[in-house]
Amino acid sequence: MRPPDRFTCEDMFRRLDDFLDRSLSPEEEARIQEHLELCESCAREYQFEESLLSGLRRKLRSTEAPEGLKQRISSLLERTEKKG
Amino acid sequence: MDQRSAFEAQLSPILNGAYGLARSLTGNPADGEDLLQEAALRAFRGFDSFQAGTNFKAWFYKILIHAHYETHRRAGRRPATVELESVPALYLYSRSSEAGLYELTEDPAKLVLSKLTTEQVQAAFDELPEEYGAVARLYFGDELEYQEIAELLGCPVGTVRSRLHRGRKMLQKLLWSLAESTGVLARAAPGVAG
Repeated sequence: MRPPDRFTCEDMFRRLDDFLDRSLSPEEEARIQEHLELCESCAREYQFEESLLSGLRRKLRSTEAPEGLKQRISSLLERTEKKG
Repeated sequence: MDQRSAFEAQLSPILNGAYGLARSLTGNPADGEDLLQEAALRAFRGFDSFQAGTNFKAWFYKILIHAHYETHRRAGRRPATVELESVPALYLYSRSSEAGLYELTEDPAKLVLSKLTTEQVQAAFDELPEEYGAVARLYFGDELEYQEIAELLGCPVGTVRSRLHRGRKMLQKLLWSLAESTGVLARAAPGVAG
């Protein structure tokens, strides 16, 4: 494996969030993909952040409003409707 | 279908996400519930202005965010519980490495999150200052793009990007503290966590 270029690692580091968020240009994405294939350390950081992102999304997808809140809202709307 | 049933049919599928956003804006479950009820009332009263076939969630979230800014902000901004300046980038990764979690698993992020309940994770989002919490909740919870978040919050895309970047750092510190306080790291990696 080719030793990682420090500047390129720094470049990767500064763009990590944008890369995770798919908000880079295709050219920048390609350069980062290339770096990740060469640099084990950056690849490990990226894998960690990617796993964290997908794990947090899974957790938040299962957030549930409290039992009874839907009913309380429904009752509120019913009272509002009756008042006209 | 009457007006109320039609409104509730639209609200029901997005209620959990709206509750999460309301909590992130207000910083706690009780105020989040109050905000959500206030938003539902406002939205119901203005339901005639909603154009069928358009994005109800975006329409409702805008009302919720506006209701928050109008009512809950009067009480003053809640103080940040995390000092941003003290949070280095890749905080969770660094702490996980130092705690030896890579000796236990190839995926320490998954390990840490697996030890936390959904409520604990949501509570960590609640602790973020509202400007970061709202962006982070919309990004992580609703999986919205930067542009969509910017439109909802009425701010530039660059602001969304920077708030998300800072919010992530704070969130990582909160998650690590939470994992430590619940003792899950000590149980996961005896002798190395702490």
